[in-house]
Amino acid sequence: MSEPEHALAAKSAGQLNDEMLSSMRTPTWQWYGLAFFLGAVVAWGISAFTYQVMTDLSVTGLDRPVMWGIYIANFVFWVGLSHSGTMVSAILRLSQANWRRPILRAAEAMTVFSITVAGLFPVIHLGRNWVVYYFMPYPNQRGLWPNFRSPLLWDATAITTYIIGSSLFLYLGMLPDLAVVRDRATGWRKKVYAILAMGWRGTAREWVVFRKASTLMAALIIPVAVSVHSIVAWDFAVTVVPGWHSTIFPPYFVIGAITSGVAAVITLMIIIRRVFHLEDYLTPLHFDNMGKLLLVICLLWSYAYFVEVQTTWYAHEPIEWEVWSFMSGKYTPLLILMLVGNSVLPVTALCFKKIRRSVRAMLVITVLINIAMFIERYLIIVPSLSHKNMPFVWGSYSPSWVELSVTAAAFAGFTLMYTLFAKFFPMVAVTDVRELGVRHTDIKLGRTKVHSLSEEE
Amino acid sequence: METLGIFKDVETATRAVDGLIKAGFREETITSLTSAPYPDGVIVKTDQRTWFRWMSAAGGIFGACAGFLLAAGTAYVYPVQTGDKPIIAYYPTGIITYELAMLFAILGAIAGMFLEMKLPPRKERPYDPAIADGFIGISVSVPPGDRRNRAESLLKEAGALRTTSEETL
Repeated sequence: MSEPEHALAAKSAGQLNDEMLSSMRTPTWQWYGLAFFLGAVVAWGISAFTYQVMTDLSVTGLDRPVMWGIYIANFVFWVGLSHSGTMVSAILRLSQANWRRPILRAAEAMTVFSITVAGLFPVIHLGRNWVVYYFMPYPNQRGLWPNFRSPLLWDATAITTYIIGSSLFLYLGMLPDLAVVRDRATGWRKKVYAILAMGWRGTAREWVVFRKASTLMAALIIPVAVSVHSIVAWDFAVTVVPGWHSTIFPPYFVIGAITSGVAAVITLMIIIRRVFHLEDYLTPLHFDNMGKLLLVICLLWSYAYFVEVQTTWYAHEPIEWEVWSFMSGKYTPLLILMLVGNSVLPVTALCFKKIRRSVRAMLVITVLINIAMFIERYLIIVPSLSHKNMPFVWGSYSPSWVELSVTAAAFAGFTLMYTLFAKFFPMVAVTDVRELGVRHTDIKLGRTKVHSLSEEE
Repeated sequence: METLGIFKDVETATRAVDGLIKAGFREETITSLTSAPYPDGVIVKTDQRTWFRWMSAAGGIFGACAGFLLAAGTAYVYPVQTGDKPIIAYYPTGIITYELAMLFAILGAIAGMFLEMKLPPRKERPYDPAIADGFIGISVSVPPGDRRNRAESLLKEAGALRTTSEETL
């Protein structure tokens, strides 16, 4: 029997429910303190944004030629992070990897909240945010219609699809768990969970339909996730900006998204495990397996980046090479940090099982990966815009306090949404984990007993 | 009418199912209520066929048509001349068609799933919160009268901790 199954086999269903639903207990003062602090950072970011709206974009660092800066870096970063749930939850669900079970909910919730944050940034970075509704296709008196030939509108369509799809994917997975929470709740909470649980009873027929719906949704959400980040990549690739106009951008962005998503899931797993005492459910085995997945993804990212640089270096087209030289010259420390964080460190460290099974080491590696991925987005956007084709319009960019405040608010807002989610909804897929318990048995084979797990076709 | 018996473990629950089948109750009228899914046949056998995927397919086709009309149709009706670019362009039209097809396929899958599960229910159905903590419910759909009483006594003989009955459609 594997480590998680050993721990679970000894516990009753009620005990498993108690432990896995421990995040939903009455909040402590530490929880209130954290929520207040995060709320304060979000409020500060909102006030900075309000100042930007009331003044104009001159309060940011944006100016010719760098009209896309840290806001767009945020947008691409958060869209990338949203690939966590899809890749971890949907792919592992389809491949029927049993170790996925305690990780699903954290990954799916992360997808929803990160794509929500991502969707705010195209609005935040507009010069006239109050006319953002111009992009909606409805008959109007303005004589305007959205231009569907623009990649920015493909973005809007894809992100809307992904937000709705991933929210439904999260809700679907939670349906049986909401019924468990409903049965244990009292007062107004019971009524709310009863509405959300939609009358779920757990009949055999409901489980059959649920299992097939979960598989179908997993199969549908994966191509949507791939298309979303490919479309974000096309925002850059279909332009003629040197450094951006590259056919490798869509797969490169998707690989980068999976890298940051998987790393972020591991980081969140570590935090959730520690805060809610879920050591029996998120074991070193889970980190070992996620570490292997991360190793493969980091290798792919390293390959994609190498290919990108190698073709630029070999062709040595003047303006393309100028952009690369400028970036590597002016932003050398950031470039080194990016390469170490995304490639050198994970590829070397994650080869070792001892490191993959060490929670502390995984925390350091995964946080560094996401810092490096944010830097990577910044280094794609800003240097290329700074040094485009005409030398007399070359310029520079550095983010202002307004942009940094909004960035901080984005991180705080994501964390706050996650904190609230953990308080009101189960952070571990309760029925998924318990399913492992009902399907396993020990059978006598030869001279010993072996662990057997039943699976359905 | 549905009669529900609550059992403490799988063995007593399956004993109840066997007893009901031996007494002449059809297996299609018997179902289990569990908070974790058991493999088919462990407690009861259920029809594994589902139809909600057709709703997802229908949603996808509808979405594709909607996306095509949105991107190509509206561009034709309200043309925006930008240099020598085509009014209706293949790739943008394809992308919008694909995205809306996926969106409506997902919505169709969820709607179909709830329709097939018959959720939310129109009437109160028998249930026991103990099921959430690992107890197993065995439910029999029977007409009111002698059959209901017979089902209830069989459930109790098999070891049901308690039984409830509700009028259902």
